[in-house]
Amino acid sequence: MSIYLCKLCSVLLLEHFGPVVQTVGDDLLKYDRRSLRAIKAAVNLPLNKIKEVMCVLIKYGFVEHSKNDKLNEYIIVHERILMILRYPRYMFFVKSLLGDEAEIMLEELLRRGYETASKIIVKTYQRLKQLSSDRQQPVEILKEKFESLVKHQFLMRSIITPAALEDPIDLNVEKLDFSFPDLNLLALSRMANGIAANPGDNNIYWRINFDRFTQDIRDQIMVSAITKRFDDNAGELMRQMLNLMYLRTAEWRATSNPIPYVEIKDAVRKLKYPMLIQHLDQYLCLIEEDTCQFLKRVGDSGGGQFSINMKQAFTQLTWTTLENIVLERFGSKAARIFRLVRTRKYVEQEQIQQLAMIPAKEAKHLTYTLLQENYIHVQELKKTTVSNAPTKIFFLFHIDLDQVVGMEISHCYHALYNTIQRRDHENTVNKRMIEKHLRVQTLTSNLKEHGATEEQLNDIAEMMTPSEKLELGKVQDIIKKLGASELQIDETLFLLTMYSRYQEK
Amino acid sequence: MDVRGEFSSEREINRIVDVGESPEFIEEKIISLAQAKPKGISDKDISAEIPDLAPARKAAAINKLLAQGYFDLFKQGGTLLYRLKDPSKAKSVKGADNEEKVVYNIIEEAGNKGIWIRDIRFKSNLMPTQLNKILKSLETKKFIKAVKSVAASKKKVYMLYNLEPDRSVTGGAWYQDQDFEAEFVDILNQQCYRFLEQKKDSTKNCKDGPIGARNIAFASSKEVWKFISDLGISKVKLSVEDLEMILNTLIYDGKVERTLSSDGSNLYRAVEPLLSPPGLIRTPCGVCPVRKNCCDVGEITPKKCHYIKEWLE
Repeated sequence: MSIYLCKLCSVLLLEHFGPVVQTVGDDLLKYDRRSLRAIKAAVNLPLNKIKEVMCVLIKYGFVEHSKNDKLNEYIIVHERILMILRYPRYMFFVKSLLGDEAEIMLEELLRRGYETASKIIVKTYQRLKQLSSDRQQPVEILKEKFESLVKHQFLMRSIITPAALEDPIDLNVEKLDFSFPDLNLLALSRMANGIAANPGDNNIYWRINFDRFTQDIRDQIMVSAITKRFDDNAGELMRQMLNLMYLRTAEWRATSNPIPYVEIKDAVRKLKYPMLIQHLDQYLCLIEEDTCQFLKRVGDSGGGQFSINMKQAFTQLTWTTLENIVLERFGSKAARIFRLVRTRKYVEQEQIQQLAMIPAKEAKHLTYTLLQENYIHVQELKKTTVSNAPTKIFFLFHIDLDQVVGMEISHCYHALYNTIQRRDHENTVNKRMIEKHLRVQTLTSNLKEHGATEEQLNDIAEMMTPSEKLELGKVQDIIKKLGASELQIDETLFLLTMYSRYQEK
Repeated sequence: MDVRGEFSSEREINRIVDVGESPEFIEEKIISLAQAKPKGISDKDISAEIPDLAPARKAAAINKLLAQGYFDLFKQGGTLLYRLKDPSKAKSVKGADNEEKVVYNIIEEAGNKGIWIRDIRFKSNLMPTQLNKILKSLETKKFIKAVKSVAASKKKVYMLYNLEPDRSVTGGAWYQDQDFEAEFVDILNQQCYRFLEQKKDSTKNCKDGPIGARNIAFASSKEVWKFISDLGISKVKLSVEDLEMILNTLIYDGKVERTLSSDGSNLYRAVEPLLSPPGLIRTPCGVCPVRKNCCDVGEITPKKCHYIKEWLE
């Protein structure tokens, strides 16, 4: 495993859960699986504290528990920790699909790990009230929002409940349960106004179905790729195909079961895409015949059967990503060589310069730079001759995709780690100013509540000098920019991990 | 030339000369016979053509012709064959001595690919100094010429003076004076792409549906060739194959796609990439040249990094 993966997970734990969790997390990250006793031996913390930390980690799903031969072991789940990076994306996704209230609910749940429906609804109600009165929604609507979150399978019943944490034996029985309990609305609205009541879901806890978000992001990548390649109509068709895929295929199969043409037509007819309805056959044919091979025609019955080739799609997307990386890092000529080696599978130096039409010296330089950076690999072929005669060796260049992807994934980890470090650094360097700004802000809002005059407010605002304000703006921009680049790097990381995920199966 | 021994008895020939026709007439007859059969004639063929010819006279005539360089002699399936040499070539070696002839023959065999001086030395078994002299004399007589190969700039190859060097020697249209014309190739590459892109843009208002639009966007290599020829950017005459090489580089650039048309010619079309540049390389760490040395401590750390600093500003 990459060192940077551990380092990255470690800083993520530090950033979101503090130094104590990080210490325990580090130990787990170092050994992958550990028993409580072993952690205790390695970490200089009281047992109570460690247990507390383990509770937190299990609660958020960062650590899983396994029991074999009477040995209770805890396993750290790296992928789950990395998902912290994607929280903003999940929230944005829910917001665009189900609206602001759902976003707040999701945020609350992300913050708490697991919670009962009633508490989330009440919390959301209170938060909306704080924000502004015109966005206030009655509890009934909030309950509906929560139900639609469950219906879209963004949330699922949690098997981890406070009771289960006491007795962690049956934690590993994973089954997806989306059944929504009856909630007492009257009690809910009472609770919302601060009166204790029993809403009727005391022991039913909910947590986030991360797999579902992963699938959605995966689908989004495919749709946007098709949109970019062809047009919006084709992209919409791809989205519909993916929706149809869920009806008949397990989420992570490499290829979907065949989807009949009639159903595609029905789905498309419900949309407002006149061009797509008119030329549906042609669009299907277009995507199918394209070199990206997202769709495959598998049969002719019922007007044609199509299946989505997920594995192939992500292989193609990965190639494109890698080609782009080579293009940006080493220039367009190097990208040409990279693609050439890809299409020719095994190729000699001489052929590279001839086919790529690059002057011999430059071609050699670029090829060997790519070789040195491990983007292409070399295979030696010795021609067997009589002993003692000088052996003729062919050097064939080729690309080991899995290896390059592995390298790029750890490159992503490294870049993410660096970006977070840098952001931390900017934060600590400018800590004094940022804290001052916060103090001023709280002071102003406090005074406002107590009905301070305009003059008083101005006085407080002037506590920040103009130069400080300017500096503050700069720092905030920097932090924003670094945060945005974290998201961008994660996009690449996500695509590459998708590739390896499909490759493993 | 070892066969000459069979007919070498001069006295024998002189004795028979006065019988029958004059030697010149016999020689002419043999030559005309050989001209009729470009694959070569055997002894039997000659006997059939001129049945009343005494073997000794025949031998004399053939020996004379061989000495004058009219014929090549070779063995096929146990019988000797005489084949007429190209008279123009035969003439050109005239006035040369034996070594020169040998060297000339070796160079001639190499054809328009040319032959390296070291290979001539091995084949002819001549001393380097002597060989140099011979080559120089042949060159001054304009029988052969030296051509610089593009494969190795210092390697000179020899070929007959009147031959056009092969593509593998000169590199074809893309080389001038043994230098690869990278700029020329780049310009052609851009122009070809521009042409295909224009073709693609013209389909935006197409009303025949997406497939129709795609089919319009395709251009055959001939069309591209015509466009480039009409532009007049090339001083050299380019062939369609030359242009396909350029179009192939566009495929390797990921900008163009190729399919085969029904009549077997190649069709090209500009395509959009599947993804925009990935997020990783839009950050300084993605394209960092010193990433291998970057860690938490030492000279290169994310906190001190100049690349990030520049990027943030």
